[in-house]
Amino acid sequence: MTTVHSPVNGRAVGLPAVPDPVFSQAMVGPGAAVDPARGPQVAVAPITGRLVKLHPHAYIVVGDDGRGVLTHLGVDTVKLRGAGFELLAVEGDLVTAGQPVVAWHPHAVDEEGYSPVCPVIALDAGPESVSGVVSGPVEAGDPLFDWH
Amino acid sequence: MPQRRLIVEAEVGLHARPAATFVQTATRSPAEVTLAKGDGAPVNAKSILSVLALDVKKGDAITISTDGDGAEELLDELASIAGAP
Repeated sequence: MTTVHSPVNGRAVGLPAVPDPVFSQAMVGPGAAVDPARGPQVAVAPITGRLVKLHPHAYIVVGDDGRGVLTHLGVDTVKLRGAGFELLAVEGDLVTAGQPVVAWHPHAVDEEGYSPVCPVIALDAGPESVSGVVSGPVEAGDPLFDWH
Repeated sequence: MPQRRLIVEAEVGLHARPAATFVQTATRSPAEVTLAKGDGAPVNAKSILSVLALDVKKGDAITISTDGDGAEELLDELASIAGAP
């Protein structure tokens, strides 16, 4: 089992609350979502593993067991083209759960007209393989869900 | 093996919705389906992890390959997803 940790401080709201069907209908995969607190934030790795993909607005960490977790910082935030996001790690790095990856400003994402809600997705996971999804306040690095 | 080569036209590349739709469609096939970017090594087109990690951007050339019954129809469908603006 893999414990997937919250990448940000905020409130765990569940995937159905993400204002994009590609995530809310679990088309990308099952998982959870966190509505981030609106101060400046440091998004962290949700699991320990290799940072196989690092974009300013999204990153994928793959564990030793081959399981990959996608963290998406806001919805449609690819369109911000990295503005307001600062990379704190390098693609290919080995990271531990809770390690800083991207500094960003959820309130700035709000002001640009995008939702800063962060989907956290178990990639290539069956719909029944995720359990124990937390709801309510979470800190970055707190357990968010279990991947069986 | 039947193949389609095309240029990805979506503004976001093969990410988010196009990637999820592409993988869901590939997964319907019982046959092996692969995706390659440029001259790179092919990856499993049924894996959202593999497809997202391939990081296909707008303007990238890709090759989709599969075999078996209905291969041409599946390739048509996948090419229309990947090639949609």
